[in-house]
Amino acid sequence: MAELTRISALHGHADARRLGAGAGAPGVILGEIGGLRLRQIAAWPDCIDAVGAMAAAAAGVDAAPGPGRAVESMAADSAAPACALLRVEPLKWWLLGRPAGPLNIDAEQGAVVDLSHSRAHIRIRGPRAAEYLNRHLPLDLREASFTEGAVASSVLHHVGVTLWRSGRNYELFIPRGYALSVWEVLLQTAAQFDAEVIPPAAEGGGE
Amino acid sequence: MSARRLPDGGRIDRAEALRFTWDGAELTGHPGDTLASALLAGGVQLIGRSFKYHRPRGVMSAGVEESGALVTVAGAGDGARRDPNVKATVQELYAGLAAAGQNAWPNVRFDLGAAANRLSRFLPAGFYYKTFMGPRIKGGTTVWMLCEKFIRRAAGMGAASRLPDPDQYEHAHAFCDVLVVGGGPAGLAAAATAARAGLDVLLVEQDFQLGGDLLNQPLADAGELLAEMLDDARSAGVRAMTRTTAFGLYDGCVAGLIERVTDHLADPAPFLPRQRFWTVRARRIIVAAGALERHFAFGNNDRPGVMGAAAARAYLNRYAVLPGERIVVATNNDSAYPVAGELAAAGAAVEVLDARPADRVRQLAQQAGARGITVRPHCAPLRAVGARRVKALEVAMEEGGRWRHGGRQACDAVLVSGGWSPAIHLISHLGGKPRWNRRLACFTADANGESLLTAGAAAAIWDTGACRVSGQAAGAAAARALGKDAPGIAMPAPGGWRSPIRPLYEVRVPGAHLKSMVDPLNDVTADDVRLAHREGFTSVEHLKRYTTLGMSADGGKMGNVIGLALMAEALGRASDGDGGDGADPDIAAVGATTFRPPYTPVALGALRGRSVGGHFRPLRRTPMHQWNLERGAVMTIAGLWERPWYYPRHGETLDQAYIREAATVRESVGLCDVTSLGKIAVQGPDAAAFLDRIYTNRFAHLPVGKARYGIMLRDDGLVLDDGTTWRLSETDYFMTTTTAHAATVMAWLEELLQVRWPALRVHVASVSDQWAGCAVAGPKSHRVLSACADSPEALTDHALPFMGVGRMSLGGGIPCRIARISFSGELAYEVYAPSDYATAMMDALWAAAEAAGGCLYGLEALGALRIEKGHVTGAELDGRVTLDDAGLGRMAAKGKAFIGSTLRARPELQREDRPKLVGIRPKDRAARFNAGAILCRPGQLSGLGEGWVTAVTHSPALGHWIGIGFIRGGEAAWRGQSAVAADPVRAAPVEVDIISPHMFDPDGARMRG
Repeated sequence: MAELTRISALHGHADARRLGAGAGAPGVILGEIGGLRLRQIAAWPDCIDAVGAMAAAAAGVDAAPGPGRAVESMAADSAAPACALLRVEPLKWWLLGRPAGPLNIDAEQGAVVDLSHSRAHIRIRGPRAAEYLNRHLPLDLREASFTEGAVASSVLHHVGVTLWRSGRNYELFIPRGYALSVWEVLLQTAAQFDAEVIPPAAEGGGE
Repeated sequence: MSARRLPDGGRIDRAEALRFTWDGAELTGHPGDTLASALLAGGVQLIGRSFKYHRPRGVMSAGVEESGALVTVAGAGDGARRDPNVKATVQELYAGLAAAGQNAWPNVRFDLGAAANRLSRFLPAGFYYKTFMGPRIKGGTTVWMLCEKFIRRAAGMGAASRLPDPDQYEHAHAFCDVLVVGGGPAGLAAAATAARAGLDVLLVEQDFQLGGDLLNQPLADAGELLAEMLDDARSAGVRAMTRTTAFGLYDGCVAGLIERVTDHLADPAPFLPRQRFWTVRARRIIVAAGALERHFAFGNNDRPGVMGAAAARAYLNRYAVLPGERIVVATNNDSAYPVAGELAAAGAAVEVLDARPADRVRQLAQQAGARGITVRPHCAPLRAVGARRVKALEVAMEEGGRWRHGGRQACDAVLVSGGWSPAIHLISHLGGKPRWNRRLACFTADANGESLLTAGAAAAIWDTGACRVSGQAAGAAAARALGKDAPGIAMPAPGGWRSPIRPLYEVRVPGAHLKSMVDPLNDVTADDVRLAHREGFTSVEHLKRYTTLGMSADGGKMGNVIGLALMAEALGRASDGDGGDGADPDIAAVGATTFRPPYTPVALGALRGRSVGGHFRPLRRTPMHQWNLERGAVMTIAGLWERPWYYPRHGETLDQAYIREAATVRESVGLCDVTSLGKIAVQGPDAAAFLDRIYTNRFAHLPVGKARYGIMLRDDGLVLDDGTTWRLSETDYFMTTTTAHAATVMAWLEELLQVRWPALRVHVASVSDQWAGCAVAGPKSHRVLSACADSPEALTDHALPFMGVGRMSLGGGIPCRIARISFSGELAYEVYAPSDYATAMMDALWAAAEAAGGCLYGLEALGALRIEKGHVTGAELDGRVTLDDAGLGRMAAKGKAFIGSTLRARPELQREDRPKLVGIRPKDRAARFNAGAILCRPGQLSGLGEGWVTAVTHSPALGHWIGIGFIRGGEAAWRGQSAVAADPVRAAPVEVDIISPHMFDPDGARMRG
């Protein structure tokens, strides 16, 4: 059976374009990342270490990250990240990407739920990316505060979102139903940063 | 003569000319000018008309405290971009700026409204209260009321455009270690000191240039120092924002800023916001906001040509505008003397009237005399003379502690310095109480010394050098408090004048009738303050509200202190004078009104940011949104969701379309996008126990593979929400909620698990966005599903019985969850696919449904079907309804406790005569009635009635209009009696029968297939 085509929330709305004056290097580059693979792993309070270890093994990383942090593993044949583990709540992680190993968490230890279709994933980078995001997000994104690997839940145009800093990229996850509305507002603001919208990429693409 | 531009000097760029228009006439200025400086340079002195009396007004200040030169700035185009009440003193000049006078007809030079000034004795403080709010006198008051609108129209300020605001605005967030408010010598020093200590410093300045008072001092004196300080701040890494006003401080070291992004640009890029509303979160805030020069009340002190002495210094040194050729400077403190000297040096004839005695000003007078300036001690201005601008000044002289006429002095400008008020507004926002400093004759406010510090003139430090040191001290203190190494620098003491100020707030002589403005912006005179006192409005709060003193665009920056002083005087509260100055009004005993944000006006557009129009709130779309639109759906807003309302064919109306859709469902099959239902994953070993506690009915023994309808109550026993919950495995449930209450239920479950029952091993996760849902309803629904199911045997009665749950794949591999449940009362299924596969699922289902003669149906038909069945939704479950009211009492399990089980047994909730859910149909079957109608007894169409109608529809199955609603006692109490649906605003009353809410297929045979 051929793999089903996924139609994202921004389908037809995230095509490549330049915004603003359009001259020179863009201050912000943003684009949709399709094909999100996301599983939420929750642990019971007394199983946090065991579940964390299993999540880390599945993600191919040494140890599960603490609150507000993320770790990534690299694919064997590429420099691109294969998998990431984000601590999104005290008792919950998000496992992003293709797991390196199986994830067999018993109900006595925790719970796993698939959220792969629940979010739109937008990647934002560029020299003015943090400044741009702060047009919307009340998060301290200064270099020393929101370091690489930081994760935060926040609110963007009244919508609860998750922001993760992966290297130089900001990865923004927006609940699917709100995604187009938030995307439209993001584009309104982006023009003043001479932004470039890059074509939707498959999972793991980009820098 | 009037003001003129000097041939050289100033901080303007003379190489470039900016053309602009004033009341249609073309004028020229330069980059670096404000509108006010350019108007003065162009010889324009009469710029505004006052609020109430239409008195001529000119430029009174050089800053945000301006009360005279309020203008309307119009943008190009259709008039939508029209900004009234712009202070010309802070409006940066740009090429093409078009400004006009306001509150005047036909124009500010010749204003018919000026007749109001002649009637001013009939328009005192409290005029409106006395005239329009008195008891109604038969006949007379009614006539007065007719006059009111004309009188109101005559008063006022600029008029806003009635068109939608064409500009965009935005919000932004910033973080820093230290926020410094004010870019003068104190602010620059504070910022540089804190930054050099290793802190991240944000400096904000409302002006378009940094420098504060250094910009107003002669370039030769202050230019080098300013350049050095700017360089120091820049090299220390200070982030500086100009054209940005810190308008409010809030708890937790949060500041609100307004950045004017394009207000100074001739042709801004269309994608730039006009203004940006910043929320800044700092660890320390240093207020170095400077001080505002006061005037004092004397006759016609609002005439064009009367302005603040410090303002004149700004026009002279910064903008190279000499405000007059024959200038009288009136003062009670030292700060006016440098101004006088600089004006004389620029070629003006200058005379100083100093209210202080000769022995206190001797040294200053000698220095001034050396520059050709005459200083007259014991003198003050009494009345400005001149109809539209100052031509002379009547002088008051003090003898034996009393003022008397002291002659008349020809002049073309009167510059006043009545003392200084530190800009303590921001400190006051955080609770710093204004305290009257009698020695310096000003209010100061104690910063809390921890998160909030103050420096410079805002701390009543008058000397430039001391201001700089105070900034360094504050910057170092902030650095040390944040764990950085910084030297301990002593904070200079407040003050700094050689000769003390003489408190003076009003000059008058016996017998003279003077129009002496206390608050020129609101046309509040000294006599108005005394009138308020005579009429008993002596508290400062009452004074403010009775006279409007301190309200509106300047927020009392010009006049408040004078008003308080006059009230203190009227109350006879005087402290001892200090050396023969006469009585010093004890302002401390009168108190001050509270400063609240904003410091200067903030456009409403900036507050709303991008939340406007279609983005007033976020819009939620289902994954089938585009698919629905492509099939002709007309959408409607349901909460935050945009949902298909109906799918008209061949020009159908709403009624025609939904009736057809509902009928098709009953006869054949229909598909409905039900994605907006809330969906929650409930997981864990204790999930069954948890559900048993939150639902009124039992879930613990629900078999895997089955769904059950459940109702949740609130703690108070009233219904919270309803929905079905599917058991996917021993420890895994899929709960659906109503669209309206999805977020409420999710938050409620989280609260219960985190706060009330933390020991339960249950996790809940919203999967509302993960799954796209479609209801397949109608007698042919099974056939449709079988046609597109990859394994039709999964749909047999045995595999998927009524209320059965399963997994299946559709259309060649789309993984779905399916339950055989019905909201329409027909054989029906709900099918859910992962959201990115929603359109594929719909393509598969629709191909089969269309072939079977089915239809797509929207929210309106969904409503019709459920009303026929008497199924409740958010319209019925409105937070006032019990299980029994909704006819669902049987859903309360006996022998188990659940949320609300105790309080639902309250006698009040068990009363027999409570309003209960009923069906409603018109006696005349051809009649229709409306949702929202009140149900009354016939002949008693008044009051709250006996019940209400929550929803109506035309029933395709029954062939007439029906409704559901609540009525006292329910169906049983109304058997054999009719009621009336009263709808007095919209329609005539309709006689109705009260019947069972289950109006179609009451035993559910169709639903069970």
